[in-house]
Amino acid sequence: MSNPVTIIMIEDDEGHARLIERNIRRSGVNNEIIPFTSGTAALNYLFGSDGTGLDHKGCAFLILLDLNLPDASGIDILKRVKENKYLKTTPVVVLTTTDDSHEIKRCYELGCNVYITKPVNYESFANAIRQLGLFFSVIQVPPAAI
Amino acid sequence: MTPDAQRKRAIGHILLLAAGLFVLTAISAGSVFLVNKARKDARAVVHTLEVENQLSLVQLQLRRAESAQRGYLATLQPDFQADFEQAISQLTPALTKLSQLISDNPVQRRLINEMMPLYDQRLEEFRTTIELARSQRMNDATKLVREGIGRDTMKHIADIASQMRAEEDRLFVERTTDADRSQTLAASLTGIGSGFVVVLAGIAIFLVRRSSHARDQADARLRDSHLNLEATVDERTADLREANDEIQRFAYIVSHDLRSPLVNIMGFTSELEELRGDIFKRIAALSRAQSEAPAAPENATDTAEPALEGADKQLSQDFSEALGFIKSSIGKMDRLITAILNLTREGRREFEPVWIDTKELFEAIVTTVAHQAAEAQAEIRIDALPNIVSDRLALEQIFSNLIDNALKYLKTGVPGEILVRGRTKLGFAIFEISDNGRGIDPKDHQRIFDLFRRAGTQDKPGQGIGLAHVRALVRRLGGTMSVSSELHQGSTFTITLPINWPAGNRKTRT
Repeated sequence: MSNPVTIIMIEDDEGHARLIERNIRRSGVNNEIIPFTSGTAALNYLFGSDGTGLDHKGCAFLILLDLNLPDASGIDILKRVKENKYLKTTPVVVLTTTDDSHEIKRCYELGCNVYITKPVNYESFANAIRQLGLFFSVIQVPPAAI
Repeated sequence: MTPDAQRKRAIGHILLLAAGLFVLTAISAGSVFLVNKARKDARAVVHTLEVENQLSLVQLQLRRAESAQRGYLATLQPDFQADFEQAISQLTPALTKLSQLISDNPVQRRLINEMMPLYDQRLEEFRTTIELARSQRMNDATKLVREGIGRDTMKHIADIASQMRAEEDRLFVERTTDADRSQTLAASLTGIGSGFVVVLAGIAIFLVRRSSHARDQADARLRDSHLNLEATVDERTADLREANDEIQRFAYIVSHDLRSPLVNIMGFTSELEELRGDIFKRIAALSRAQSEAPAAPENATDTAEPALEGADKQLSQDFSEALGFIKSSIGKMDRLITAILNLTREGRREFEPVWIDTKELFEAIVTTVAHQAAEAQAEIRIDALPNIVSDRLALEQIFSNLIDNALKYLKTGVPGEILVRGRTKLGFAIFEISDNGRGIDPKDHQRIFDLFRRAGTQDKPGQGIGLAHVRALVRRLGGTMSVSSELHQGSTFTITLPINWPAGNRKTRT
């Protein structure tokens, strides 16, 4: 699979988005990052014009998802992505401020691959993001299912 | 029913009772009076009859005396004389009795006064004739009888007697009529009274029925309003619970959303820190390049460089200080937000009452704080404690917070003594945790239970959450807590909890 992995970042807080991007870059990951500040825009992109996700058949994505979005619940987005036959193999990393155990459990149940709490302690956050970048550079991200 | 109507009704009842009582009293008095009158009338009638009877008796005795006289005169047998004597002897008391009986009637008295001398005259005549007969003067005796004086007297007596009888008859009729009238009166009075009583009883029954009807209605209304009240209470409870949930959610969302900007502030502060490193590296390089390039004016650089370096250093230090303050503030804010989040999470946890060996629970807590206790040279003693039914986790949090506090705020240089005591009172278990620590100023006793508030010397780390949390937990467990303490005199925290916290106390009310 020579398809380069595209990172879809769904994050309404521009500051968080910038911090995440910087840290990813700092860890040496140079993949393309497409940022979205709203759930609707991200879904429109992911599912394409016909809303089936067919447009991105065969594309390798990695989704960074914030759970607290102004226009849609991150949980809903996660559910829709995991239910779509073309996108369900896409790894989803949930990034959120909540460390509520119920919510974490819920996300894993819905098929989220990694759950990262945004800590205020910046060093550990940066560390987590960097490790995530490292993680991406080693794992083989499968393209969206045939 | 309005109070006015109620008062009116009560007055009506009292009036009715009073009227009934009055009627009954009147009837009773009237009856007694009339019965007495009737009895008197009857006695009068009897009296009349007695008088008549006595009159007849008198006449009879007189006649007897007369016939005995005649018999004696005719036969001269002493038997007749004895008869005569007997008749005479009975006549006198009969006459006396008669005069006694009629002494109340002036008419009769006059008549009897008229009659008395006639009797005496007649008796005298009898005696004379009998005397004459006995002394063998028969002719004189018969002559005396023949003269007919005796007959005239007799006739006169009979006349007077019939007059008296007539008078008595008149009296009899009169008195009988009187007696009849008073009996009729008594009967009619009783009848009318009974009628009144029946009418009053009817009114009373009507009133009682009406008031019992009103009472039934009031009862029904009361029941309705009771049901309404319960419904209202349920509604309010639901509202309150909803409001409480709302507050919990609010606290959760607010504290949650506050973290999001905090992440940015912290993140970019760290970015600034990195930038600062880069900037000062550049400044140092630049100043070195500057000082190296014009190497000729050596003394100038010598004087300039330390000055420049000093200014740079100052800038760098100021920068670091500012960043340090920002970071420590963020750290503090994060801890507060986390504390609120944890509190709201605790507030939402359902309690589960279980049987708890409190002594064991305390011993477990003491084991976990053994290290701190050893550091503070403190000794923790646990007396006999009552066992209770409550939520284990909540109790652990309550007591470990209190023991932690006791260890944390000991007097420096004084070996700590912490004592846990327990007793029961009226279905409640009372736990006392006392220490010989630094104590709390009485003016701060309320304040220490407030969220984020602390008291005394601030030489120990803490958020001011522990006691607020403990008190919230104690309240949720249906208990109370209080503190008694003086500055430098140690503190005693008293926790009162129900011995048998009802399972699902809160749940059954939801």
